[in-house]
Amino acid sequence: MKSFGLELKLLFADRATWGLLVVFVATLVYGLVNGAEAGARARDNAEAVQRDAFEWNRQVREVLERQSLDPRQVAGRPTSALLPPAPVPALAVGQSDLLPSVEQVSLWRLEKPSEGRAELENPSRLMAGRFDLAFVLVWLFPLFLLAAAYDLCAGDRESGTLRMALAQGASPRRWIALRALARGTPILALAVAATLFAGSSGTAPDAGQRGALAALVVLAYGLFWLAVAAVINGFARSAAAAAMAAGTIWVVFVLVVPTLLNVVVESLHPAPSRAELVAEARAAASDAEKRGNELISSFYRDHPELAPPGMQADMMSRMLAVQDEVGRAMEPVKERFDEAILAQQQVVDRWRFASPAIATHEALTELAGTGYWRHRAFREQVEAFKGAVHAYYSPKFHKRVPLTKADLPHFPRFEFAEEPASVWRARVLAGVAGILALALACGIWAATRLSPQKLSA
Amino acid sequence: MILTIARKEFVDAWRDGRFRVGALLVLVLLVVAGLLARQQVERAQAERASAAELERRNWVEQGNKNSHSAGHYGVNVFKESSPLAVFDRGVEPFVGTAVFLEAHRQNQVAFLPAQDATAMRRFGELSAALALQVLVPLLVILLAFGAIAGERESGTLRQVLSLGVSPSAIVLGKALGLLASVAALLAPAAAILAWLLARAAGPGASEVWTRAGWLAAAYGAYVTLFAAISVAVSASTRNARTSLTILLTFWAVNCIVAPRLASDVVHGSLPTPKLAEFETEMQKDVQDGLDGHDSRSKQLEAFTRKTLQEHGKSRVEELPFNFQGHVMLESERLASVVFDHHFGKLWDRIQEQDRAVALCGVAAPMLALRSASMAFAGTDFAHHRRFARAAEEHRREFVRLLNEDLKYNARPGDHRYTAGRELWERLPVFQFEPPPFAFAWSEARRSVLVLLGWFAASILGLVWSATRLRAVVA
Repeated sequence: MKSFGLELKLLFADRATWGLLVVFVATLVYGLVNGAEAGARARDNAEAVQRDAFEWNRQVREVLERQSLDPRQVAGRPTSALLPPAPVPALAVGQSDLLPSVEQVSLWRLEKPSEGRAELENPSRLMAGRFDLAFVLVWLFPLFLLAAAYDLCAGDRESGTLRMALAQGASPRRWIALRALARGTPILALAVAATLFAGSSGTAPDAGQRGALAALVVLAYGLFWLAVAAVINGFARSAAAAAMAAGTIWVVFVLVVPTLLNVVVESLHPAPSRAELVAEARAAASDAEKRGNELISSFYRDHPELAPPGMQADMMSRMLAVQDEVGRAMEPVKERFDEAILAQQQVVDRWRFASPAIATHEALTELAGTGYWRHRAFREQVEAFKGAVHAYYSPKFHKRVPLTKADLPHFPRFEFAEEPASVWRARVLAGVAGILALALACGIWAATRLSPQKLSA
Repeated sequence: MILTIARKEFVDAWRDGRFRVGALLVLVLLVVAGLLARQQVERAQAERASAAELERRNWVEQGNKNSHSAGHYGVNVFKESSPLAVFDRGVEPFVGTAVFLEAHRQNQVAFLPAQDATAMRRFGELSAALALQVLVPLLVILLAFGAIAGERESGTLRQVLSLGVSPSAIVLGKALGLLASVAALLAPAAAILAWLLARAAGPGASEVWTRAGWLAAAYGAYVTLFAAISVAVSASTRNARTSLTILLTFWAVNCIVAPRLASDVVHGSLPTPKLAEFETEMQKDVQDGLDGHDSRSKQLEAFTRKTLQEHGKSRVEELPFNFQGHVMLESERLASVVFDHHFGKLWDRIQEQDRAVALCGVAAPMLALRSASMAFAGTDFAHHRRFARAAEEHRREFVRLLNEDLKYNARPGDHRYTAGRELWERLPVFQFEPPPFAFAWSEARRSVLVLLGWFAASILGLVWSATRLRAVVA
C-alpha cells in the first residue's frame, strides 16, 4: 500500500499529469453537457407529442359527451406511437439521432413502410457522431489511460534503472501492477464519477441502477486497457517503443476491428433493398386495388357478421379490404427485412468481444436506452399496436357502428412497455464479464512476460 | 546529399519489420475497402434500377383514373450513387435513397441506409477515404517520429553534423525518403482503385477522372503535410518519446476529436430547425401564405375573380376549360413558393454548417480534406441537394402535366373525367444528371485553400526546423 501511495505521489508531482487530468475532465464535462442537451431535446419532442395527443383526446371526449361519432372521423387521424425519452440520455446519444422515436399510426396507413427520421439532422453530423459521454469513454478514455500508463517499466529498462531495481530483489509483477493501478486510478476515478453523474441525471426510476452498471462497464474497460499497458511493457525496450505499441493497439481495437466487424456484418447479412420494398409494396397495392370489388366480396363471404346491410360496401370498406390484402402480400417481404437486420445485430452481439471497445459501446448505449434492443422493442410494439388499431376499428367500419361515450376507454392507445430489467441486465452483465475476462487474459499474459528473468534479458 | 539521405531513409523504412506489417495492413484495408465498396455500390445501383423499373410499371399500369387522383397516387424516384462513392461514400448512408413525388407536397428524401445497419457503422465505415484520412497519417507518424529525434538521442546526429552535412539536407532528405516509402506503399492501392474506377460506368463517368485527379492531389497534399510536420517535430524535440507524444496528440485531435467536436460546436451556433416545427410551419404557410396576410382560400378567391374577369364570365362552369384543373395549377404554384422558401432555408443552413466545419480545418486539416474529398467524390450534401432539387423539379413538372390534362381535357364541371395509360406513358421518366466538375470545385475550393495553407505552412515549418537543427535540444 505504501508503494501505491508513493506512486500516486510521484504521479501528481509531474506537471504533465495535471495537464492530462484537466484535459480529460474538460472532455468529460463537454460530453456530459452534449448528451444532456440531446436528452433535453428528446424530452421536449416527447412532451410536444404527448400534449398533442392529450388535446385530441380531449376534443374527442367533448364531442362524444354530446353525440356519437362516425368511426372514420376518429380512426383516420394518426395516433402517435411514442418511444419515451431514454432513461439515461446523458450517457450516450447512441442511435437516437438516427432512428425515429415517434411513429404515426392511422387506420389508412397501416401498410405504408415507415420512413420516419429522428430529426432534421445534418447528415455530416450523423456521419461524424456526437461528442457525448460514450464517445469520451469508449474512444478517448483509453487514450488518456495509455498516456498515463504506457511507460510502466519500458523507460526504466531503456535507462538501465530497471536492472538496478531488479537487483534489489523487488518483485516486478507486484510493483508494475501497483504502478499501473496508481497511474490509472485518477483517470479511472474521473471516468467512473462522470458515469455515475450521468446516471444520477437520468429521470427514469432505474436510472441510478443503470448508472451504477455503466460505471462497472467503464471500470472493466479501464482495467482492460491498463492490462494492455502492462503487456506492452513486457515487450517494449524503450519508452518510445511502448508508446508506439500503445497507439497501434488502440487504433486496432477502437478503429480497425469495429469497422471490419461492420463489413463482416453487412456482407453476411446485407439489408434487403428499401427501394425494392417500396416499389413492391406499391405494386401489391395497385394489384389489390384492381381486385378491390372481388376482395371485398370475398371478405364479406368469409365474414358475414361484418357485412353491412344489403352487402353494399362503401369506398372506405373497400379500401380496408385492399389494405388487408397488401398487408398479406407484403408480410413475407417485411419479415425478410426484419430478419436480416436482426441477424446483423446477432452477429454484432456474438463478435462484440473481438474488441472491448465494441462491447463497451454496446453496453453503454444499452444502459442509456439508446441502443438497438430498446428500439427494436419499440418497433415490435408499434407493429402490435397497428394490429390493435386494425382489430378495433375495422369491424366498426364494416358494420358502420358509430362510436359512443362508452367506447372511449377502449380506444387503442400506445403505451411503450420497457423491456424487463432482467433481460437488459443480463446482456449488460455478459458484456462486463466478457470485458473483464479479456482484461484478465491480458493481465495473465503480462504476468508471464514481467518475470525478473525476461525483464533483465 | 539529399538524395543519398532519402535513399537511406527509404531502405531503412522498408527494412523495418513493423513498418512492413503496418504498410501491409493499410494496403489490405485500402484494397478490401475499395472492393467491398464497389460491390455495395453496384448492388445498390442494381436494386435501385430494378425498383425504378417496377415503379414505372406501377405508374403506367395504374389503370384509368382522374388525372389529379394520379397525382395523389404519385411516383417514387430513387437516388443513384456517385461512381466515386467506391472511394468515399461520404454522407450517402445518412441521406435518403428514395423520394415520393405526389401532388400538393414536397417530401423529404427518405430511407437512410444507416437506419438499416447496426450501430457498428457509427464507428466509421471502412472506406479507402477513411484509411487515407486516419490510418495513413498514423503510419507516417510512426515512421517519422524518431527520424531525427532518435538520431539525436543516440548521438548519431552530432556525428553526421560534424561531418559537415548541411542540416537542410538531413531534414529534407529524411522527409523525402519517408514520403517515398509511403508513396511506394500507396501506389499499388491507387492502381487498384483506379482499375475499379475505370470499370465504373454510371452517370457522370466521363468526369470521373478529373474528380479522381483532384482527389489524388488533395490526399497527396494531406499525406505530405503529415510527413513534413512529423519530420519537423522530430527535428525540434529532445528525444523520440517527446516527438511521438506531440505527434500522437496532434493525430488524435485531428482525426478522432475534431470531426465530432467541430460538428457539435458548429451545430450549437448554427442549429437546424426541429422536425416537428419545420413541418408545422411549412403547413401553416401553405394554408396562410408566406407573409401570413393572405390565406390560401383568400388567394384562390381572388384568383377565381380574376379568371372570371379575364374571360368575361360570371360562373366558373362557363369557363372554356375545367376550372378545377386550373385552380390545382395555381395552388401548386402557390405551394411551391412556400416549399422553396422552407426547404431552401433548411438546405442553406445545412450547407452553412458544412462550410463552417470545413473552415474548422484551419485547426485540423482532416476536416478540410474530408470536405474536399466528399465534394470531389460527389458524395457531400451539396450533391445530394442537387438530387433532391432535381426530384422536386420533376415532381412539379409531373403534377403540372397532370393538372393541365384535367384543365384542358376534362369538360367544365365534369367530376367523372378519367385519363389512362396514354397519358401516364407521356409523363417523362426521371433522369438525374449529376452536376459537372465545376460544381464540385465550387464546393471544394474553400477546403482546398485551407489544405493548401496547411501544406505551405508544413513545408515552411520543415525548412524552419532545418535552419534550427542542433545536435542537442535543451
